[in-house]
Amino acid sequence: MLYKSIGLVVLLSTGLLFSCKDKVGVDDDVTDFDKAEMLENVSSNIIVPSLNAFSTEVSDLKSSFETFKATPNSANLEEVKLHWKESYIIWQWLKIFDFGPIRDIGFKSATATYPVDTAKIEDNISNGGYNLSSVVNLDAIGFNALDYLFYNSNSLTSFQNNSDYADYASEVIEKLYNETQNVVNGWSTYESEFNESTGTSSTSAFSEFVNEFNRDFELAKTAKVGIPIGKANLGLANPDYVEARYSGISFELLEESIRALATTYKGNSYRTDAAGIGFSDYLVHLGKDDLDQTIKDRFEIILDKTQGFSMTLEEAINDPSKTDQLDELYLKLQEHVVYIKTDMTGAFGVLITYQDNDGD
Amino acid sequence: MTKGNPFKIDFFKQESIAPLIMFRIIFGAILLFSSVRFIYKGWVTTQYIEPQFYFGYLGFEWVKPLPGNWMFLPFVIMVISALFIVIGLFYRYSTFVYFLCFTYVELIDKSNYLNHYYFVSLMVFLLIFVPANRDFSIDVLRRPHLRRKLVSAWHIGILKFQMAVVYIFAGIAKLNSDWLLEAQPLKIWLQAHHQIPLIGNLLQEEATAYLLSWGGCFYDLFIVFFLLQRKTRPFAYIVVIFFHLVTWLLFPIGVFPWVMIFSTTIFFSVKFHRTLLLALKSIFKWPAYVPDKIDAKPKANSFVKLALVIYIFIQIVIPFRYVLYPGNLFWNEEGFRFSWRVMLMHKEGLATFYIKDKATGRTIEVDNSDYLTVRQEDQMATQPDMILQYAKFLKSEFDGKTFSNSTKSITLRDPEVNAEVFVALNGRRAQLFVDKKHDLSTLNYNLKHRNWLEPFEK
Repeated sequence: MLYKSIGLVVLLSTGLLFSCKDKVGVDDDVTDFDKAEMLENVSSNIIVPSLNAFSTEVSDLKSSFETFKATPNSANLEEVKLHWKESYIIWQWLKIFDFGPIRDIGFKSATATYPVDTAKIEDNISNGGYNLSSVVNLDAIGFNALDYLFYNSNSLTSFQNNSDYADYASEVIEKLYNETQNVVNGWSTYESEFNESTGTSSTSAFSEFVNEFNRDFELAKTAKVGIPIGKANLGLANPDYVEARYSGISFELLEESIRALATTYKGNSYRTDAAGIGFSDYLVHLGKDDLDQTIKDRFEIILDKTQGFSMTLEEAINDPSKTDQLDELYLKLQEHVVYIKTDMTGAFGVLITYQDNDGD
Repeated sequence: MTKGNPFKIDFFKQESIAPLIMFRIIFGAILLFSSVRFIYKGWVTTQYIEPQFYFGYLGFEWVKPLPGNWMFLPFVIMVISALFIVIGLFYRYSTFVYFLCFTYVELIDKSNYLNHYYFVSLMVFLLIFVPANRDFSIDVLRRPHLRRKLVSAWHIGILKFQMAVVYIFAGIAKLNSDWLLEAQPLKIWLQAHHQIPLIGNLLQEEATAYLLSWGGCFYDLFIVFFLLQRKTRPFAYIVVIFFHLVTWLLFPIGVFPWVMIFSTTIFFSVKFHRTLLLALKSIFKWPAYVPDKIDAKPKANSFVKLALVIYIFIQIVIPFRYVLYPGNLFWNEEGFRFSWRVMLMHKEGLATFYIKDKATGRTIEVDNSDYLTVRQEDQMATQPDMILQYAKFLKSEFDGKTFSNSTKSITLRDPEVNAEVFVALNGRRAQLFVDKKHDLSTLNYNLKHRNWLEPFEK
């Protein structure tokens, strides 16, 4: 009896194998996908170019600030603002890749924590003796500290009359500059390690990339939009939480952040948008063409919604007639999470924790 | 073909103690290794000290972690008692203490539930009652009169039974359409390894997923029968090693493959174990056996027999309790745990919770990472009972809290807790799992069917 049932199962499985063989034949036009090629494309066409562009822009920010510090006039300040803004825009690409050298030095939180504590910044300036590397100063450094220092209504006079104020800005920029150089150097050695780490464990570069991609999208959803419009506060808006509040470029940052995520999803190159291998190709390879199309379309819709405001985020928050439009934008962001975090990650078979697992 | 089933035979037939002694040493060593490994990996901190909230088991919610670093205590005790089990010192106390500590730790948080932890709990429980210290142990050095050459058949048989339960039920669980007809979730899991040199390309072939799905099912269902036959045993054990090594290489299942590879030696012949034990004894210059007057066949104890029958019955019935529930087992997970459903499905979930102020209709979207670890959130998002427990926890967190901005201030009184949950099962697109319309905080947490779950749409 036992041998009979064994025989039956063997027969069935052989039959099944042969019946699948045909299916495999049909699928042969789909080339075998290689995660290593995808990682190589992402590092060499997205991460490294955006990192280099960022580094150049931060250097320009540093030198333009030195010029401004020597000659503090309004034209020189405008030049500084220009480089500040451009580097903050490029940052929207880099912040996706919070692993390897970027994570090692805590670059993401040091660069773009917001809201900043303006009282703390003022205290630091007037009392001196601050340590910008200390954790307590995380909300007194980075792009948003500069946003305050460059764009508050007394900015120019403060720079002209208070050398401590200028020194503080100088140190914030110096820190950003040094850390950028560290990350650039770190990536030149980390790149090959990244390219080869294709496994499924939660610590493989591939898994970290997928997980950080999702985290960055969720962060954009929650921090750039959700919290300021009051999603965590019974709908009571919090304009204090708006990113880059003083310059008012929060919508531009959100738009670039979404564009960076959408481009990375497709695996297209930084700036040139030349086609490359990305998550999109992996999904198509897995036969998930539908999902791939949904994700691409939805990214476009989100971009479209982001561009629908001809005012700053703070103005939109304070304008009751814009509430529905903001809610709509947030909803589109929210709906997207299930496609990338649940459907896409589920299809890739990526793990999010490192503990033992027996699959239930 | 002889009937190899050891459970049909006399529970009290006298057999050599050698397999039991070897099992004590082998299993004790596994316990020792995995306890040390758990501490070494830092999991005591991440799983039992850092979380702010624990998902207790129904009826066991009173089981709480010890404060702060005191949580290391049960793990240190486990290491010591496992060592005592290996060397056979205060054996009955050691097994009991290990069982107590291990089970206590497992009961704290069901987001840590693994079938192999349940297996360890049961095995150690059984070890308390069998005389695995009655030869080649410190206990018999201290009290030589305890020494035995023979034990009752059930002492070894019950351990074999437990092993058989794991394998056979894992096989039965695989008899479902996703596993056999879609080769899921293996299709997802295998293709993720396509970069492995040489076999990588093979792993993204559909045929491979089907072969391994059917092979795995066949293996689980029948391996025990091959292990029980003297003739097929050597070949079967090679298959055991191969199968578990493959799972160890491809999946993050930790020590489980090693637990199974080593525990399976219980099926080996008396001759094998006796040879091994003699070799060990000669290394440790163990005194040759002193003829024993007390080795008379013990009376068949009807209480023991009844207890065994009840235990066996419970073990067989529990995995089938899911038939009491309507709907899809993988979707609803009602009667899912404690049933040896190992590496059976790939479930990915996204759970967004909302706290609703009844007076104004305003809502708060909860950031789960404020309250749960990554692992807890991951587990909770696909398991209905945990969704409910978390909702009730959120209710207590938010009730009475005040939210404000520069213009307004609202204090929550008895708020609603809603959740919108999407789940993707075995490679399908995500479907709605829990609708936002339910106030989860008012629902009862019990074993009844959860009709607030959206039906699985296929």
